[in-house]
Amino acid sequence: MKSALKWDIVAKCSTTKARAAVLTLPHGPVNAPVFMPVGTQGTLKGITPDQLESTGCQIMLNNTYHLGLRPGQELLDACGGAHKFQSWNRNLLTDSGGFQMVSLLKLAEITEEGVQFESPHDGSLMLLTPEHSMSLQNSIGADIMMQLDDVVSSLTSGPRVEEAMWRSIRWLDRCIKAHKKPDTQNLFAIIQGGLDPELRKQCIEEMVKRDTPGIAIGGLSGGEEKDKFWRVVTLCTDLLPPGKPIYCMGVGYAEDLVVCVALGVDMFDCVFPTRTARFGNALTANGTLSLRQHKFKDDYRPIEEGCDCVTCKTYTRAYLYTVVTRETIGCHLISLHNTAYQLRLMRQVRDSVIEDRFPEFVRKFFKDLFVEKSAYPEWAVNALRSVNIDLMEDSP
Amino acid sequence: MPPLNFSIIRQSTQLSSARRGTLAITHAVSETAVVANTQTKSGFESTVRESKKRVIETPGCLMYTAKGSVPHLTPDTMRLQSFGGASVSIEHVLQDYQPAGFEKFPFNLATYLNLQDFILLCDIRDTSKFVKVPFNSDRYVSMVTHQGVRQLTLEDYLKCVRTYEPDVLASFSDFVSDLEPGQKRVRKSVDRSLKWLDQLLMERQGLDGLAQDREADMKKKENQKKNSGEASSAKEPKETTPAPAAVTPKPWKDVGVFAHVLGSHIEDERIRSATETAKRDVEGFIIDATSLAGSKDDVQKLIKTSLDNLPSNKPKVVYGMQAPEDVLKSIALGVDLFDTSYPFVLTEDGKASLFSFGPEDSADAKDERIVEPRWINLWDEEHADKFVPLMTGCECYSCKGGKHTRAYINHLLKTHEMLATVLLMSHNMYQYSRFFENVRKSIEQDTFDQYSQDFMARWGTEPERTGEIHPVAAMVEASLHKRNRLDDDASSIASGQQAPKGKGEKKERVFVNKKEKRLKKQQEKLEKQPSQ
Ligand SMILES: [Zn+2]
Ligand SMILES: [Zn+2]
Repeated sequence: MKSALKWDIVAKCSTTKARAAVLTLPHGPVNAPVFMPVGTQGTLKGITPDQLESTGCQIMLNNTYHLGLRPGQELLDACGGAHKFQSWNRNLLTDSGGFQMVSLLKLAEITEEGVQFESPHDGSLMLLTPEHSMSLQNSIGADIMMQLDDVVSSLTSGPRVEEAMWRSIRWLDRCIKAHKKPDTQNLFAIIQGGLDPELRKQCIEEMVKRDTPGIAIGGLSGGEEKDKFWRVVTLCTDLLPPGKPIYCMGVGYAEDLVVCVALGVDMFDCVFPTRTARFGNALTANGTLSLRQHKFKDDYRPIEEGCDCVTCKTYTRAYLYTVVTRETIGCHLISLHNTAYQLRLMRQVRDSVIEDRFPEFVRKFFKDLFVEKSAYPEWAVNALRSVNIDLMEDSP
Repeated sequence: MPPLNFSIIRQSTQLSSARRGTLAITHAVSETAVVANTQTKSGFESTVRESKKRVIETPGCLMYTAKGSVPHLTPDTMRLQSFGGASVSIEHVLQDYQPAGFEKFPFNLATYLNLQDFILLCDIRDTSKFVKVPFNSDRYVSMVTHQGVRQLTLEDYLKCVRTYEPDVLASFSDFVSDLEPGQKRVRKSVDRSLKWLDQLLMERQGLDGLAQDREADMKKKENQKKNSGEASSAKEPKETTPAPAAVTPKPWKDVGVFAHVLGSHIEDERIRSATETAKRDVEGFIIDATSLAGSKDDVQKLIKTSLDNLPSNKPKVVYGMQAPEDVLKSIALGVDLFDTSYPFVLTEDGKASLFSFGPEDSADAKDERIVEPRWINLWDEEHADKFVPLMTGCECYSCKGGKHTRAYINHLLKTHEMLATVLLMSHNMYQYSRFFENVRKSIEQDTFDQYSQDFMARWGTEPERTGEIHPVAAMVEASLHKRNRLDDDASSIASGQQAPKGKGEKKERVFVNKKEKRLKKQQEKLEKQPSQ
């Protein structure tokens, strides 16, 4: 199918499957691997678009389900889409709305037609079809849009998983047909198939034939065992064509990002960094600081030494302790830092791939974060071993 | 002499006592503050604002702060505004810092709060609103901190000054928080405040201002002992020498003192407070109108009584007169400084101001003679499809170039997104500063009296605030505390479904006391949930 993106691989890691690339989208270039902050309602938790740009963010995520409810399709059409609506001139990605419905609404029911759900406003029965999802996403106008897929929990097993996989393929066909703006918006397929390697293989085989501009690995991050999670990821990256960006949905913890990059994933998103900010949790290379804790009241250091964000350049932990969870700027300041942290991590990962010192970076990253080897998560050690990085080996 | 210089550039030649001036820190301090970060090709660069000279143009404003920050604005966004000063309330920042812990504090307050490029005024109480406190005594005043009412002694306050080193310190005063106090109470408040002011000024010179208090306390103790029983007092040797000062007073001559003038609604006491305070070696005066009962005209009269008995060459600050027409009337009486609690209050209500002061507007006003709405409420559904800026031609961060629209801000309010207040605050603060800028220009051009009249005709007076809970305040409260309903995750829509909006909020408010407990539970629950 048509594509409105360019995918240029800049460098490949000589040890792992990691790669550095430039993804050129209608609203400018994106350096991959990339973490995409989630601005659910068309805004990122009190951060202004200018501030977000200043953290180096090149692409942000909006949720179709939420924007479809408010401001709604009519107003999005009236103002010319979500970029204009929120005054964000860089790239946007929207999900299909299906995931949100299934996970947020208890009464959602999936039929061949689409996802049926009760309106959270008036309780009336509504139906989200692949066609409707495409129409909404066309109105939003995101640079990358996702197909509607049949989402099953990654903890589900049995015939429902296979049914969902085949249905997702059928829905992809309907999405491709219904997509009105393939010249300016890129539709990504979503690989389903649960934790079953065979189903994943079949899904990939079918979906790759559809030749979408990019492909996502779906149906993960639902609480499955991490050791199963990484095996599915690496299976998918092995089978997917190298000439297209690979997006792993809902992944955002720092160690998950680093491991998945090593396994060959290019794009990530997660609400975690900004959500946790509201509880006063600041992310650092040495772990999370819970700034609500009394012990920070006389701590006159910045959140993270050497961090280039506005928060770290201007305020101490002691000050943040007095404003977190009390003043809105407490949230803003930590959201700003966490977003900056997350994007900086991805820049560091990317630079290390380009300079072909990614394995060293990974070793240092784990040492900084977990200190003792005994604290390293086993799944991460296994995953990295599969791509020739042995974290347990004594480094020089 | 504190390096604080107030000069009057122009005195209105018209009927009013309005004057145009500057309040400046004269000595060259080259402190720097990080203003913003921008990404460049070679990495990140910080824009740094040097502050060799800090000036507040008067009539002008100190930025109102909550817990040491301008509400809703991070330092980079805040510096898009053009105010020269900020005021910080001790009751906001002290909190769980016992003054005893000050030795650990490695900065002054301006550095700690990243306000180095502003003239910083420190006062005790929140200047934006009237909050009744239990009572004050000969030794302490009460203040309302986040953790409840606390007592602050002059000794504590002096520790604050020495540690915080503000540019300007409000005097330690016996603020009367009864709306209708008796004459005796008012007289006492004036007396106490004058005594404390003298003690404060002695300490500024490095003299032991607290010696008389210690001596008095000692005598009191002795008397108590005497009265409690002859037998015991006979055995103990009589103490004759007062205890030595706990600390050798360190002078703080670089800090300017603005003295509160008091007197509540009693004219004689207002006159006495003003004339007596005026004899002291202070750099300016503060008139707190937040607790003055009565009509706006009555309050203006009381302010005038104070002003008439103060020297004209020193700056005067007024609290509680922040609505634009009150500002204009106060300026006409000779007031120089206000604070930005008005734009803050508008923002909390979800409102954007539309008023302006100056020549273009006068022409329209004459033609139409219709009172125009001075603000719009962005909660109103009518803005949902208005893809226009808050105010045509406004150059604020939100409006400039049509960046953010009324429709978007309406959306942000409805979805409880905190960017709403960031954008509204940016606009309201900007327009408030424009208002003052135009006022200053008009004083220079001798058009102030005329434009003030035009302003009143065109924009009327501030309507009463209605509704028991202000939507944005509730929203901020909600987004900071009641996260489950507002989060991006499963619980948000699910619980929204179970509890329709209005009902849910009402219910939550009933359980305010259990908030802490519940909050903790919610946090634990949410943090356990997997991402996405
Ligand atoms: Zn930072
Ligand atoms: Zn504006």
